[in-house]
Amino acid sequence: MNEYRADIISTVEFNHTGELLATGDKGGRVVIFQREQESKNQVHRRGEYNVYSTFQSHEPEFDYLKSLEIEEKINKIRWLPQQNAAYFLLSTNDKTVKLWKVSERDKRPEGYNLKDEEGRLRDPATITTLRVPVLRPMDLMVEATPRRVFANAHTYHINSISVNSDYETYMSADDLRINLWNFEITNQSFNIVDIKPANMEELTEVITAAEFHPHHCNSFVYSSSKGTIRLCDMRASALCDRHSKFFEEPEDPSNRSFFSEIISSISDVKFSHSGRYIMTRDYLTVKVWDLNMENRPIETYQVHDYLRSKLCSLYENDCIFDKFECVWNGSDSVIMTGSYNNFFRMFDRNTKRDVTLEASRENSKPRAILKPRKVCVGGKRRKDEISVDSLDFSKKILHTAWHPSENIIAVAATNNLYIFQDKVN
Amino acid sequence: MLGKGEKRKFDEHEDGLEGKILAPSDGPSKVSYTLQRQTIFNISLMKLYNHRPLTEPSLQKTVLINNMLRRIQEELKQEGSLRPAPAPAPPPPPGPLSDSYREAPPALSAPPPAPAPAPPPPAGGDLGSTTPLDACLTPASLLEDDDDGTFCTSPAAPPAAPLRLPAPAPPPPPPPPPPPPAPEKDSFASALDEIEELCPTPTSPGAAAAAAAAAGPDGSRGCAAAKPDDPKLMDPLPGNFEITTSTGFLTDLTLDDILFADIDTSMYDFDPCTSAAGTASKMAPVSVSADDLLKTLAPYSSQPVAPSQPFKMDLTELDHIMEVLVGS
Repeated sequence: MNEYRADIISTVEFNHTGELLATGDKGGRVVIFQREQESKNQVHRRGEYNVYSTFQSHEPEFDYLKSLEIEEKINKIRWLPQQNAAYFLLSTNDKTVKLWKVSERDKRPEGYNLKDEEGRLRDPATITTLRVPVLRPMDLMVEATPRRVFANAHTYHINSISVNSDYETYMSADDLRINLWNFEITNQSFNIVDIKPANMEELTEVITAAEFHPHHCNSFVYSSSKGTIRLCDMRASALCDRHSKFFEEPEDPSNRSFFSEIISSISDVKFSHSGRYIMTRDYLTVKVWDLNMENRPIETYQVHDYLRSKLCSLYENDCIFDKFECVWNGSDSVIMTGSYNNFFRMFDRNTKRDVTLEASRENSKPRAILKPRKVCVGGKRRKDEISVDSLDFSKKILHTAWHPSENIIAVAATNNLYIFQDKVN
Repeated sequence: MLGKGEKRKFDEHEDGLEGKILAPSDGPSKVSYTLQRQTIFNISLMKLYNHRPLTEPSLQKTVLINNMLRRIQEELKQEGSLRPAPAPAPPPPPGPLSDSYREAPPALSAPPPAPAPAPPPPAGGDLGSTTPLDACLTPASLLEDDDDGTFCTSPAAPPAAPLRLPAPAPPPPPPPPPPPPAPEKDSFASALDEIEELCPTPTSPGAAAAAAAAAGPDGSRGCAAAKPDDPKLMDPLPGNFEITTSTGFLTDLTLDDILFADIDTSMYDFDPCTSAAGTASKMAPVSVSADDLLKTLAPYSSQPVAPSQPFKMDLTELDHIMEVLVGS
């Protein structure tokens, strides 16, 4: 598979009501899906998601100073809470964050005095009467306009953006720095975290993800390539170089290998909706941490431990650097993350049950129920199992999203988007 | 693939290595651990120099690979320091990122996160700090019986051995090595065995780096005589392959570009030396790498110079091994 295809989905995000689902791709495009209104006539059909708007968010750029391309790939999309009829979202590539307004137009004014219907100016001499233009319905048009462009604030690659609960500010994080922005101000940002060493030779750790607390607008967390998470309080100082809390699990000596550090690198960090927990994803596990306990996670889930013996090969083919994301469901009771072979995994935190499902066209027809999959590690392989060596590592599910209140999930499998819903009885 | 999850016993002697679970002292497991480490070392080097040239490589990936290389290097040093050694521990390695970040081509405002694909002509002094050649040199050099006095850390006497090889002159004097203890002769033989085992790929970095790593600890001891800030003071002249640091496997691209920019490929035909050495099988990979070297002779083009680095290491490394074997 050509990995440079422009339609490879690079981010997926529901908005706060779940009515809209946005995807960003490698080609810099954003596609927004909207859920159909449920109709009384078809009670057996839940609202389905249809394309609502498509627009080009970012274009490839060229950094002449470094003679390097700046990819247009959308790294993250984050929605703002809806405050009027229009929808607002932030989308970012490696260097630039943009605020987009998506609004509907279903009426247009007609009956201008000075212009005719095609917009051409009328000869003033022919105007003899005065009339008031009226709004008449038109075909629905959804337009996306860039309202703000936040550029030139990141030397390194942006990996995260997060909207603050005050809805006035947001942060953008790159490998070494985190900046705080006000939505209204594009020509400056505050640097709130800077881990760049004075001597770059000493650089051994980078920032991998960051997120604001869902309720406390002064708190945020950021994760590192060494498997640590820091909780920072912006009230403490302007530059949050000193953390309030430091989360790190001691290494398990029995699992030590050459790749211990690399597989401990956290690829995603997410607050629970309640704000009490954070979830982190590293290469082989998902961990849930209680904000009040810094020395170890309260839960650890094995995503694909059968890969532990393959780490050298995965290092060689770069798969070990894949950045999987993780998501909470609306009630924080189930967590989900992706794996290889188009598999994704869900863990129920209460029942401790987990399931492996596959997102692929061959295995699922519309309305069909997904069949749980199983990876067989060694020995005899049962009929429906797949052996570790048959896994397709080019089919990776890095990005998933969960509806904020319902059991609807969106799973991005390379260039395909799958939307799964709970079975309707 | 290596790393089949062999059980390793905790070796009491290696307590100092942060309680790492290392291979036991018995032969086969330790060799397989060493082989795996060597393989990972090679892979890491290849990764650093084989990124897509069009966009900036991921800083996270670069940092993780650098950390891996440093860890392996530390391990080798500590293994070396466990053997009886006259020299104290070597200076801490200059960060692999230092050269990369300094030598950004036009980047004036912000250092690039990784070695740039088409580095500009070097600015003299900065470049001499570390080269992979240093690391490769150490094992062969150390295996000579020269005394301490000839060990030269001053930049004033660069051997520039591989560069002048094509000249009709007799082979240049080898870089003065620190004295190895007598047991190293045996380790050299075992090092060559390891090289042989690693030779399956025609890409020679395995051979060169294997030799480097296998006798690496000795090289690091050899560097002990170097002053800690030597990397910064090293002679800017190309071909200064003194063992002033043991850390140089993370190459200075620009320096190497200069070194090999104008070199005729006929230089890298080691056949006469090979036959004379009698260790032809070990040297065989060199001729294969000549083709790869051809690709590297365009340092200022937009093509990545990257893939050349391991092969350049290989040449110098093998050159010095040859000198040792020939007894020059």
